[in-house]
Amino acid sequence: MAYYWYQSDPQLYQMEVAAMQKFFPSFTISQLQDGSGRLYWRGKVQPAGQGGMVWDLMLIYKNSHPHAGQNEYGGSVQILPLSPRLKDIADKMMPLIMQTYGDYDNVVQHGFGLGLPHIYRDQFGRNEEYFICSADPKYFKTGQNHSTSAASALSWACKWIILCEMWLNGEISDDVAMEGNY
Amino acid sequence: MDQNIDMDAVAARRRALAEALQKGEPVVVTASGEVEKKEEADDQGMSGIMVPNGKLA
Repeated sequence: MAYYWYQSDPQLYQMEVAAMQKFFPSFTISQLQDGSGRLYWRGKVQPAGQGGMVWDLMLIYKNSHPHAGQNEYGGSVQILPLSPRLKDIADKMMPLIMQTYGDYDNVVQHGFGLGLPHIYRDQFGRNEEYFICSADPKYFKTGQNHSTSAASALSWACKWIILCEMWLNGEISDDVAMEGNY
Repeated sequence: MDQNIDMDAVAARRRALAEALQKGEPVVVTASGEVEKKEEADDQGMSGIMVPNGKLA
């Protein structure tokens, strides 16, 4: 019996693979070895170009793909940076953020409760990890004829990364990082 | 890291991109993951995926 989305909808799987091979040919697809059956892409990107950081990313499909619940930030493709690890960056930033906003409640009110703009936490294996909130779920398409692919999710993630690097470098303000029109 | 990188040029490019993103101008992402203003990518003959509309969550 077809259990996973890539078994029940092989055409969608083929389209996902074709889109990644077209736009991000260095990424490779594998299956998580945790018994969940989830597929993931892994590869490196350098959104700021020469001189910018190289990010080693995993794009992990939820088994509900394509799907985007109300609080499912980034829809059913989760973006996990392996290097640099968001939790490590966030831990380094938190003291500065606390200094700026005074107390944790105020930090949370400004959207920096996890130490970086536009991230969320989830369990990954035995660890809690921080993931990129690539897009508001309302933008993640889940229709039968048109769904958001891992390639599109990765393009959102690259945009997030460059904005995050700008924020870390002090090139854009907290307000712009949190509320900018992008 | 390549020591010959012009960090001023890198910063200037980032500033231009920040402005473009804030204005909602179209951007593309190349195969290496590099984010480029669409018009600049077109001028340089670079191809890439157009970043879909969508506000960061």
